Amino acid sequence: MSMLDFMASRKRPRPGELAKERLKVVLVQDRVKVNPELLEQIKADLLRVISERLEVDEQHVEITMTREDRWDKLQAAVPIKRQKITFEWDPPYYGPSAEGLQGPLQVEVEREEPSS
Amino acid sequence: MDSRVITITSGKGGVGKTTTTANLGTALAMQGKKVVVVDSDIGLRNLDAVLGLENRIVYDLVDVVEGQCRLRQALIKDKRLPELYLLPAAQTRDKNAINSVQMVQLCQQLRQEFEFVLIDSPAGIEQGFRNAIVGADEIIIVTNPEMASVRDADRIIGLVEAAGKPEPRLILNRLRPDMVRRGDMMDVADVLEVLGIDLLGIVPEDELIIVATNKGEPVVYDKRSRAGQAFMNAALRILGEEIPLEELMEAPTLMERLRRLVGFGPAVIGKRTRSWPS
Ligand SMILES: Nc1ncnc2c1ncn2[C@@H]1O[C@H](COP(=O)(O)OP(=O)(O)O)[C@@H](O)[C@H]1O
Ligand SMILES: [Mg+2]
Repeated sequence: MSMLDFMASRKRPRPGELAKERLKVVLVQDRVKVNPELLEQIKADLLRVISERLEVDEQHVEITMTREDRWDKLQAAVPIKRQKITFEWDPPYYGPSAEGLQGPLQVEVEREEPSS
Repeated sequence: MDSRVITITSGKGGVGKTTTTANLGTALAMQGKKVVVVDSDIGLRNLDAVLGLENRIVYDLVDVVEGQCRLRQALIKDKRLPELYLLPAAQTRDKNAINSVQMVQLCQQLRQEFEFVLIDSPAGIEQGFRNAIVGADEIIIVTNPEMASVRDADRIIGLVEAAGKPEPRLILNRLRPDMVRRGDMMDVADVLEVLGIDLLGIVPEDELIIVATNKGEPVVYDKRSRAGQAFMNAALRILGEEIPLEELMEAPTLMERLRRLVGFGPAVIGKRTRSWPS
């Protein structure tokens, strides 16, 4: 293996690894008879349910079938969009120093969006 | 007699079923067991040649099933091992010449005479395959570490399961340690992870197999052959001995050790240190 190949192998999976990953996908499809079309439907269903509660980044949702530890798995990666969560907080009284903090507060938290 | 009927199958053709059957049969007979190897690949007779018995065939499996001859007349005694016999396949018949019921009856008959009945299955998933497994107590699946073969093996595992047989065991044949080391071939752990069945043996790619086949002598006789040793170990595992799995990897080169130290680079058997950014 030349130095160039060696550098390149950092970025790309080797053919052996690639074969395993491809096999995992194709075997689940062979066995469970899940085709890409069905996965799209499942994805749409999932999105509908989840977006009732959370703001989903629909562009980056990934639904995959894979096999791990002898199990066929449906994996869903659903990124959540940056959002504001507000809630009421009634801090407990700890002593004199917390005197100024009595009574419920409005707290606003901003969720970080992953940098991509 | 307390006998075991074991079928060697694969789905895909050319992966080493016949080679495996001949070698496991020979190895078990070398261990003093009374063994018959059955060629159920009707129309594509092969097992006889791998064992060097092709000139002695008078009757075949279909003749026995159809009552044209008695079982004893069709059985061919091995050249070297007095406890090893071959029941050859019919060469000029259709692969649908026998049915499952006849095959079960044949297995029952063979159980009377032998401790081990090893059945070499044809490729495919049709009637011939079903005949091969119908009378079996155990199934051995042979696969090569490449996609098509592993995919077919998975299909066979499903069919074996559906037929109500116990979980098959795997012989991984034609592994090339050099390619695995470079990351160009799936390693043992990869195939096991994907198929999820237990391993019976790892047989490396070995030119001596072709030499052995040319001579009509199974490679287990050849003490120099790593494939031969691997088949012998698999046979011993069938007999219940706990033989550690073959260590097929040569010592890693300095470059490979460095690469592993840094935490990336191709897969390595045993310790699987893979981490490339995706
Ligand atoms: N481990 C091995 N190394 C080298 N050649 C092999 C090995 N296993 C099988 N072969 C060769 O591969 C070919 C196919 O093997 P065979 O046992 O006839 O497969 P099958 O019965 O599954 O069709 C034969 O020529 C055989 O000699
Ligand atoms: Mg064959």
